[in-house]
Amino acid sequence: MWLLTFLFAAFDARSEDELIGRLKRRDPSAMADLYKRYGKLVYSVILRVVKEAGTAEDLAQETFLRIWNRAQFFEQDRGALGPWVLTVARNRAIDYVRSVEARNAQKSTTFEPELENPSSYADLERDILNSDRARVLRDAIRKLTPNQRVVIEMAYYEGLSQTEMADRMHQPLGTVKTWVRTALKILRNELEEVST
Amino acid sequence: MSNDDDLLYELYALGVLEEPERSRVEELLRSGDRGAQEKLKRAMETNAMLLGATPLVDPPKSLRTRVLGSVGVVERNWGWVGLVGAMAAALGVVTIYLGTQLQERDGQLTAARADMQRTLRQAAETNAELTRARQVLSFLNAPETRMVTFGPRDPKPPKGRILLNANRGVLLIAGNLPPAPAGRIYQMWIIKKDRTPPQSGGLFQTDASGNAVHFQGGPVPLDATIAVTLEPEAGSTGPTTQPLFAAGL
Repeated sequence: MWLLTFLFAAFDARSEDELIGRLKRRDPSAMADLYKRYGKLVYSVILRVVKEAGTAEDLAQETFLRIWNRAQFFEQDRGALGPWVLTVARNRAIDYVRSVEARNAQKSTTFEPELENPSSYADLERDILNSDRARVLRDAIRKLTPNQRVVIEMAYYEGLSQTEMADRMHQPLGTVKTWVRTALKILRNELEEVST
Repeated sequence: MSNDDDLLYELYALGVLEEPERSRVEELLRSGDRGAQEKLKRAMETNAMLLGATPLVDPPKSLRTRVLGSVGVVERNWGWVGLVGAMAAALGVVTIYLGTQLQERDGQLTAARADMQRTLRQAAETNAELTRARQVLSFLNAPETRMVTFGPRDPKPPKGRILLNANRGVLLIAGNLPPAPAGRIYQMWIIKKDRTPPQSGGLFQTDASGNAVHFQGGPVPLDATIAVTLEPEAGSTGPTTQPLFAAGL
């Protein structure tokens, strides 16, 4: 069984290498494979943030265009494509929500997407989204208290800082910080258990 | 840095960490601290896994067509022969309609037919293109569709036609549009007369010859002005550059 797992993992890594290579060469068929691999997840993440199907479709298209246009800067042998694609998708969605809110409030937007540069995704675990750790993390989320889960969702799907969370929840900043840190600690402990 | 601060790399990687923690993390990363860099990588993995746990929702089928179409991806499909036949028949209907209704614009129609025939030839090669062309033909076939030309008197490109249908959307057929520079893309805008902000009409690229056929479905006022600007590759929520051209009925 372990041999099969190893072979599948090796095949996935090679096929991701090959996909990245074709993206860098701007091989048109690579976009179809990229969409097949990440289209549903990209759309789901964006829809979770913007909560409107038409807008999610627009932003998903923008996400794939951005990946297409920046793939040449990706490190073929070391880069992890999935985390980069998800980061671009999340940033597009949160940037959109922030810009709409800023326009309604007639103020400038303040969200500055971090770590979207493709070179930042070198040396991350390649098949992280399908790993045992990902499955453990999904189970660990269920162990969070409702407040811990809410603050994690605000950080990941709304791009809120801890101060903004405290304002939104009408809670002291210290309380929110405790929820955030405790939640992250629970998730990290679960991940460390599976790594050892 | 305390153990508690170690937990904040996830927030830093998400772009939501505030001062003074943010500066502390950045300082460590700038100093080349290997431990900090490793923590950031692990945090980025955690973030990816958490986002990857998002409950999945099926995207509309049109998204795949839009994504592939926006980069000119070719997809072969054995069903294209029948579709081309249907499209050729529809083209005949469109031609007769346009010919009878717009006799005074014979010259423009000849060019429009040539544009559509070129579009049809390209469409026969790709399933994605076929889907789009069928939308275009249906749009052209609608009796309420109106047409305006732009650019024919300009000494330089771009030039082409805009077809508006109040219920179905906007079709842009443009030529002499140079390929967008690296990191940029063309974006169409629908500018209403009620002074509301311009509404995005979608992103598109030109082919190697500088031609573009871009369709944006949905209701659009007939008195709207249609404009095209060059925008950053991910598109913009509002125009950030001067329009390359703008036209209305």
